[in-house]
Amino acid sequence: MGLDINTKKLKKNAFRVSKKRGIGASRIRVPGGYLNAEVLGMVQEIAQTYGNGYVHLTTRQGFEIEGIRFEDMDEINEKLQPIIEMLDINQDEAGKGYPASGTRNISACIGNNVCPFANYNTAELAKRIEKEVFPHDLHFKIALTGCSNDCAKARMHDFGIIGQTMPQYDPSRCVNCQACVKGCKSLSVDALRVENYKIVRDTEKCIGCGVCVTKCPTRALTRSKKKYYKLTIMGRTGKRNPRLGEDFLVWADADNIIKIIKNTYAFVDKYISPDAPARKEHIGYIIDRVGFEEYKKWALEGVELMPETIMKNNIYWGGIHFDR
Amino acid sequence: MTNHYIPQLSTIKEVIKHTDLEYTFRMTFDGEAKPGQFFEVSIPKYGEAPISVSGIGEGTVDFTIRRVGKVTNEIFENYVGDKFFIRGPYGNGFEIDNYKGKELVVVAGGTGLSPVRGVVDYFAHHTGEAVSTTVIAGFKSPKDVLFKDDFKFWNETINVIQTVDSAPEGYEGPVGMVTKYIPDLKFENIENTAFICVGPPVMIKFTVMEILKLGVPEKNIWVSNERKMCCGLGKCGHCKIGSTYICLDGPVFNYVDGKELID
Amino acid sequence: MGYQLSKTKADGIFHQWAKKYDIFAPMLMEGEGCFSDTDIVRYGKVEKLDDIEWNKKSDYSFKEVLLAINETLFYFTEDQTTVPKGPEKDILIFLRSCDLHAVKRLDEIYLKNGFEDFYYARVRERAKFILMGCENTCQSGFCVSMGTNKSDNYDAYIKVTEDAVYMDVKCSELNEGVCAEAMTTEEIKVADVAPDYVTENIEKVTLPKNLSNASFTKEIWQEYGARCIKCGRCNFVCPTCTCFTMQDIFYKDNEKVGERRRVWASCQIDGYTEMAGGHGFRKSQGDRMRFKVMHKIYDYEKRFGYPMCVGCGRCDDVCPEYISYSNCVNRLAKEESES
Repeated sequence: MGLDINTKKLKKNAFRVSKKRGIGASRIRVPGGYLNAEVLGMVQEIAQTYGNGYVHLTTRQGFEIEGIRFEDMDEINEKLQPIIEMLDINQDEAGKGYPASGTRNISACIGNNVCPFANYNTAELAKRIEKEVFPHDLHFKIALTGCSNDCAKARMHDFGIIGQTMPQYDPSRCVNCQACVKGCKSLSVDALRVENYKIVRDTEKCIGCGVCVTKCPTRALTRSKKKYYKLTIMGRTGKRNPRLGEDFLVWADADNIIKIIKNTYAFVDKYISPDAPARKEHIGYIIDRVGFEEYKKWALEGVELMPETIMKNNIYWGGIHFDR
Repeated sequence: MTNHYIPQLSTIKEVIKHTDLEYTFRMTFDGEAKPGQFFEVSIPKYGEAPISVSGIGEGTVDFTIRRVGKVTNEIFENYVGDKFFIRGPYGNGFEIDNYKGKELVVVAGGTGLSPVRGVVDYFAHHTGEAVSTTVIAGFKSPKDVLFKDDFKFWNETINVIQTVDSAPEGYEGPVGMVTKYIPDLKFENIENTAFICVGPPVMIKFTVMEILKLGVPEKNIWVSNERKMCCGLGKCGHCKIGSTYICLDGPVFNYVDGKELID
Repeated sequence: MGYQLSKTKADGIFHQWAKKYDIFAPMLMEGEGCFSDTDIVRYGKVEKLDDIEWNKKSDYSFKEVLLAINETLFYFTEDQTTVPKGPEKDILIFLRSCDLHAVKRLDEIYLKNGFEDFYYARVRERAKFILMGCENTCQSGFCVSMGTNKSDNYDAYIKVTEDAVYMDVKCSELNEGVCAEAMTTEEIKVADVAPDYVTENIEKVTLPKNLSNASFTKEIWQEYGARCIKCGRCNFVCPTCTCFTMQDIFYKDNEKVGERRRVWASCQIDGYTEMAGGHGFRKSQGDRMRFKVMHKIYDYEKRFGYPMCVGCGRCDDVCPEYISYSNCVNRLAKEESES
């Protein structure tokens, strides 16, 4: 009796069809790439019991357990249950594994749990976004990065969230050592200068990276109480026109960013090409086709930006074109 | 409680232009001051600069200022018929008594001559009070020579070697570093000598080396140290070397103490 | 007088004091640390006992209360100067024993050493000190080694526990506040109160005994110098560092008017020794490290008779390059004992 498997269902259930007939792989999503080490033991057990003993650390910070047999998928789903629960992944039915795979794992750099440069807790926000957008079959890629260094390559995603801080300056604590000025010049965008022995910040130029704050020896420069984010959109890899995402919002808040991401699902649902194989089309191509003005209408539904948030009214993406 | 940071307005009585970069400003000042002491001279909004006393007159004090920084630039630009703020004098200055009855040699480089000018001038006018007085003054070039009028008088009464580091062809005066002239000095009694050495740190270092080669005891040498001095009051810390505050304990040091001052 | 009283009563006394004094104490400044979502403890004006951070040693010392980071010396117009007013109220400063010992060092420089400093003196003469005890040693301090673990020259001592507040009030003016509060409410119990102090630290430091100019050539300076990034944090957190630089500024809207300020300076940062015309001394970071360490444990003592360092350990806590001053001093002492 031959194997009779619905591969569409299998893929939706976060398994992969491999090169080898009858053999697949099980994919585990880890929002923010942040997990209790206990999960590692569970992954190990599945890999050794059902797989070939090997695991791939995916480029999106999940696990892919290799060499599993399609017959074992139900049992594996049961074994995945504690992992799904520990990582607090939204699910339709306990014991049945992942309910979708289209919207990819939300990846993130290590963030301010560890990194001195990071401007926020990336894992925490990744988890929050995961809770809001998953499960969904549409192909969305979201990544979070702590600062403008963008170690997470957030700009190569449909949505990239880059941490910012609005430097707060108390001139009465400033000793004019110019560590901030030098730091901004050598590590960032040279947005600071000295006037009358005090620091003047070029607010147009400043990217909110926070280097000046980390350099300040007297706490004359501190971080804003409010957390700010830059939202870059429609970056992508791929065959036709790989490109970096462009800034859509600067000095934005997390609530509105999440709203925009969620609004985008409705936009894609409406405008995705009927010919898209497995309803998989990079959002950017849809916007290229439909127009940014139309996208904005959908994306900004119910969005009320803070006064300090800068929204780009027009975006022109570049990138490499292999399709012309 | 006296507020030592408050400067007093002082009027410029006279400006003596030595070179394009060095002027002497004769300023009104009522009070005591000694050669080698210094004042904090300022123009509000450009800041203060420590300037040594290059002369003392009736109700006046002289500052010979070299145009090298923000404050002194401004002083040169804006002095016309005007006033400066001054506070001082600070520091110990030169004690004339230390040099009386001695075979005195003053070695000075460039504006280093200003703090010691009063000492030289004293012995040039009171030749009997020292066994002998010799000035070795070095300048970069003939156009950099300061206190030309003083030299005219000094040439009459004391021994003067006025040298330049380099000179255009045809220049007839002595050429070479001040150190070149030290080995040729002759003394009646080496134990009864007194040397004063003022100038840039490197010049002081090499000059003292030459003087010591003559067999001069360390205690016969005095140096004046120039450091960053923001307050002149022993507070700001910039001039501190070891346990010594140049502004309080100096800037004039006997070499026995001065040699211990390592930045 | 020693007292035992309730928290409410203590707050009442605090309130009485606040009428006459501006009260400064270590406060937890949330989110104001160097890195994202980190806090720092530094001095601020407190309104009640609960505003005070009792547990963690302050990252920046009390010295900014007596010696402002930026202090306007005078305002000037073209030919006139005007000195800004001094503090409006008297000042109460909460601090620990190491820091109270540091006050003596600040006094030495600012009230003695040559001239009396007008600006420091006018704040200092209005300041009283409330000692905060140390039940346990902090991680990096070495007050026991420096003999600064104990203080008795406080104006008052306050200890806050779960259910009571203990005070030892030596200053009669402060005691008036206690009495004023005692009259209006129930009795305040008289008790024997003695300050908590540590008798042993985790860090122990031995001062080298035979430092001299010969110590200048030691390799240790260049070794630390190579690691130092000349940020000056060690100076700014130090309760005994006293250096400043002058700044003249003019107002943008009227360039004839401006002010002269003095601003904290650091011997580790470029420009500290640089004179007009650009000539500077101690260009190498190793020389600067040597200058700082020698000042704290040798030069100052040579001039004033006791070491400058009070062993608070803040410089070790703050150094981003993990340069340990205390270990440096211990290494100097060890080198000495081995040679």
